[in-house]
Amino acid sequence: MSSFNHYITLIYQKSLSDLKAEARRGSLGILWWIVEPLLYVSVFYVIFSLIFDRGGDNAIQNLLTGLIVWKWFDSCVRQSSTSIITNAGLIRQVYIPKVILPIMVVMTGTMKFAIIFAILLVFLTINNGIPSSSWLTLPIIILIQFVVSLSIGAFAASIVPFFPDLRLLIDNGMTLLFFLSGIFFNIETVSVELQGYLYMNPMVGLIESYRTVLLNNELPDFKMLTIILSVSLLVLFLAIKLLARYDREYIKVI
Amino acid sequence: MVDKVAKQLALQLNNVGVSYKVRSSLFRSNNYWALKNVSFNIYHGETLGVIGRNGVGKSTLLRVIAGIMAPDKGSLVNTGVNASLLSLQVGFIPYLTGRENAILSGMMLGVTKERMLSLMDEIYHYTDIGTFFDQPVRGYSSGMRARLGFSVAYYTEPDVLLIDEVLGVGDADFKEKSSEALKKRIASNETVVIVSHNVATLEQLCDRVVWIEEGVVHMEGNATDVIDAFKKNKGKPLPIVNANKVGNSQ
Repeated sequence: MSSFNHYITLIYQKSLSDLKAEARRGSLGILWWIVEPLLYVSVFYVIFSLIFDRGGDNAIQNLLTGLIVWKWFDSCVRQSSTSIITNAGLIRQVYIPKVILPIMVVMTGTMKFAIIFAILLVFLTINNGIPSSSWLTLPIIILIQFVVSLSIGAFAASIVPFFPDLRLLIDNGMTLLFFLSGIFFNIETVSVELQGYLYMNPMVGLIESYRTVLLNNELPDFKMLTIILSVSLLVLFLAIKLLARYDREYIKVI
Repeated sequence: MVDKVAKQLALQLNNVGVSYKVRSSLFRSNNYWALKNVSFNIYHGETLGVIGRNGVGKSTLLRVIAGIMAPDKGSLVNTGVNASLLSLQVGFIPYLTGRENAILSGMMLGVTKERMLSLMDEIYHYTDIGTFFDQPVRGYSSGMRARLGFSVAYYTEPDVLLIDEVLGVGDADFKEKSSEALKKRIASNETVVIVSHNVATLEQLCDRVVWIEEGVVHMEGNATDVIDAFKKNKGKPLPIVNANKVGNSQ
């Protein structure tokens, strides 16, 4: 039990340290966490709303919401998937339960997301007026996305050390998912048959839920969220099993 | 000295074997057994040396004892001690200060945050780098980094300390200081396993020595006896290994 507490403290300490280090790296410091997502969003705004003229009335708000939550997911999954490899030096020197490596990455990503998401909420409030009570369901959606990111990230982390080539697949797979997440188009405009496939990407349902809550002031589809959560918990369970099974084997392959 | 008192078992290796996969082509790989069958005990309070030629699996052995790597054969019995490698600069982040890194690094080595915080004064004084202690590590000279790394590792004090080759680190001054500190600790009642191919160091420090050759324990016993036998063997040609294995160990 005491070692469990120790690892919890360690995860917190490491995530905080990584944030601190990141803030001290550039001359803009902590401002980068705001400027960088803004630049990221602007790029897509210019391309899709101004040049391709897509997205309708709520273009900028739809885009912002989709991109910001996607970016959180994307950075968590990509960085988690290599978390065992990038910590090779550490793993060779000390024993650390490998499962905490992807958790550290996801925690750091979440802290950064919290800042930019708070800014999004302020922006939406200024534009659309006082938020409705549907916003109270946001913590649920965020928590589910946290579990989704952690489960996929941890699962990737557990197998990538054995098959390093998977990194390329994951990189391109994430790009594909990005364009299929309904960030740039309304999912209801594609054929019903195709929709079924698109919804296999958990981010489709999550982005839709954020938009329902934030932009339409309605309640999200709880049934869909429950399915997403259940599948993710299953994947997470499998990932934890794999990481524990190969806990002391990874050192030989990295 | 240790023989006089009742020996209390700390760790026990039973027929430990460790293999690495060596890929020869896309779908074919061979197992290379770095350790084949190693058994010995580690007792509380003793200093145990491990000798052997280069590439004989000494570092692998330490990793098994530290619990970082699982043996593929046999088992490691731990009576409830915490064994860890003397590791320097574990998890250092260049943009953090010496103090912040010391806390994080110590926690990575398994020490609680409270304990690390209470050790900070001692580590600060031991490191002896003045105001640099609260500045980012990226501005440190390699000597300063070594000082900080050693101080953290030194103050974390595991039950069984595992040392791989290096005794003193850093600039000339600190090398002597760190090497003396370690020697003092080794001479005390602490349990230490030290791996080296430097025979003189082992002769000076160890109570008992295990000699590993070809993945098995070739000889085990009183430090002087084993080291004498090892020295006599030194001029002799390497034991014959089959061609297949030579290829794999590259």
